[in-house]
Amino acid sequence: MGETAVPAAPEASPAAGEGISAAHVRRTFGNVVAVDDMGLTAPAGQVTALVGPNGSGKTTLLLVLATLLVPDAGEIRVAGHDPVREPREVRSRIGWMPDAFGTYDTLTPREVLQFVAAAYRLPRDRHAARARELLALVHLEDLADRPVHVLSRGQKQRLGLARALVHDPGVLLLDEPAAGLDPRSRIELRGILRDLAADGRALLVSSHVLAELEEIADRAVFVDGGRTVDEHDLTELRPTQRRPWRLRSLDQESLLSRLDGLGVTVTGQPGPAGVDVMLAGDEEAADLVAALVRDGVRVVECAPAAGTLEAAYLEMTEGRR
Amino acid sequence: MSTATREAAGPGGARRPRIRRASWRGVVTVAGHEFRLRVRTGRWRWLLGAWFAVLLAFTALLRWALAETRPTPVTGPVPGPGAADVPPPAPLGTPMLGGLMLFVLGLALLVVPALTAQSVNGDRERGVLATLQVTLLTPAEIALGKLLAAWLTALVFLATTLPLVVWVMVEGGVGIARVVVTLLVVALLLGVMCAVAQCLSALLARTTTSAVLSYLTVFAATVGTVVVFALALPLTTTTEQVTERVPVWDDPPPGEAPGGPADRHAPPPHPPGQGEPDRWETRTYERSQVRPERVWWLLAPNPFVILADAAPAAEPRFDPRTGERLSNPLDPLGEIATAVRDARASEDPQAVPGIVPSGPEQPEPPRPDPVWPYGLAFDVLLAAGAIALTIRRLRTPVRSLPRGVRIA
Repeated sequence: MGETAVPAAPEASPAAGEGISAAHVRRTFGNVVAVDDMGLTAPAGQVTALVGPNGSGKTTLLLVLATLLVPDAGEIRVAGHDPVREPREVRSRIGWMPDAFGTYDTLTPREVLQFVAAAYRLPRDRHAARARELLALVHLEDLADRPVHVLSRGQKQRLGLARALVHDPGVLLLDEPAAGLDPRSRIELRGILRDLAADGRALLVSSHVLAELEEIADRAVFVDGGRTVDEHDLTELRPTQRRPWRLRSLDQESLLSRLDGLGVTVTGQPGPAGVDVMLAGDEEAADLVAALVRDGVRVVECAPAAGTLEAAYLEMTEGRR
Repeated sequence: MSTATREAAGPGGARRPRIRRASWRGVVTVAGHEFRLRVRTGRWRWLLGAWFAVLLAFTALLRWALAETRPTPVTGPVPGPGAADVPPPAPLGTPMLGGLMLFVLGLALLVVPALTAQSVNGDRERGVLATLQVTLLTPAEIALGKLLAAWLTALVFLATTLPLVVWVMVEGGVGIARVVVTLLVVALLLGVMCAVAQCLSALLARTTTSAVLSYLTVFAATVGTVVVFALALPLTTTTEQVTERVPVWDDPPPGEAPGGPADRHAPPPHPPGQGEPDRWETRTYERSQVRPERVWWLLAPNPFVILADAAPAAEPRFDPRTGERLSNPLDPLGEIATAVRDARASEDPQAVPGIVPSGPEQPEPPRPDPVWPYGLAFDVLLAAGAIALTIRRLRTPVRSLPRGVRIA
């Protein structure tokens, strides 16, 4: 039997400039409409967050992008190819990490990664080296030769990420990658994902832990009920977004009276952590701080009380209620 | 094989690519991985030990029973005055090989569904199938690799019985060809069963359902075929008009009391030829008869039938002193083979409408045509179909999913 051509040289840098673009994607299962009308753009070099409540169709959309499901309708390009007509081309360029994935419990992380390397048809002499590199990347060297079942959930999650990276894909589809990670692992994951994006890869990360995505996402796509509700560039959204800010001063009484005098409404109950006010963006916050300082209020803190994503998400769900 | 991977999608059409190819390297990758998983998960040492112990006990008991009941050897056709020497006893190897191989096949058919019936849907349940499907492994490589691993596991069980086969050969009475053919046939039949069980695991969402159906398939092939054959046999009963030409003597032969007119047409009390009959008369009568040759094929797919019939006939034995042919020892394989071949060839010349040649005895007919090529061909085709269906079911992206199946 002829040896199949290795589609993408694994050493080659990921195809820059080709991320994901999808429009009007629809997918039903019998009578159930899982994805009604979704569209998104995930450019290379950026982390795009896919945000939505449970059952909003995030996972189904990722399955379509990962060449596992045929959509009923929609225009999709993943890494420059159509996942329905050219699944092989897409597969050689994407790394997929499902939300709930099984592991071969009796194998070791090293064996798992070497097998995946073979499955992606890396040259045979590269398998061991590639497994070593990835184990170092996700900090699993100590456990490399222990059976997978001794790994904690977070460690398995890191192994899952390593598996998605074996063939050095230019596009990464990560479904809830931070689920089950302890704080330290989350920070490390954040670092890894930012590095991957900095290399020119396109990352699409789904989650409903907004604080998680806040730190890493450049863009956010909000989905609900199988539809794309909103798509934001977070760096653009941040300065002008209406969201709660938290103010704290040395004397809370004077702060409250000054706010009252300036006509700023306080939201919620003032507590020892400070006073929350609703402000429409950075400009307004700066003006408020300036006014307070001018009036002699000794302000020690002024910061957004909710993340950009959280605020946008709440705003979105507010409108639907 | 690296060319023609994909049919170019038709202009504007959303035709799905058809990836049928399988590279040897891909198959070996999957098979090695699967085999390693199997080795790591099961308590193989215990399982194989128990398997061997059961077969050892069976073989030992079989030998003991055969030795106890071994008939006193029969000499040549007529024990002449000079046949004082007793010819060697019938070797025990022939019945032992038959008993052992039929037992091994039966036991292996019980083990194989357990090995394979959860191959695909079990992986799906554990959430490891989809991660395999998004790699560059083709559906054919996944299906064939998994099948190869399952078959290899079954062959490990078969290989464990080899010491017992050697013992049987030491007992004598079996040629190397018979041993090799029976082992090969058992190995092939186990592969067929693996393919069918794997296909069921690809078709059905639940592992329990596919396991139950695999066992039912084994039951259908082994017991079901026999039951259906037995039930179908009465339906083949035909009523035929048989025309015979019989000699008639008008006058009673000498020494016989004169009979009435009714007796005139009775067959002559003496065989024909004792004096020329006065004339020949044609008589027609109806006769009903079952026709197993019309339903013999129902038995053909039965694995035991295939094994028994494919085994080369036991070599005839001759008395080393007299050169006389000795009766064959008890031979379960040979007996099953004779039964099914007779069923296939049961077109008794007597049953054929028309004039029956009477006269000198017909020469003994040669061994009837074999049944096993049909059965084995059917089973192998079944396996091929099962593999094709499995590959189809593993193809992604998926348009329609069966009820209850989640791709990931």
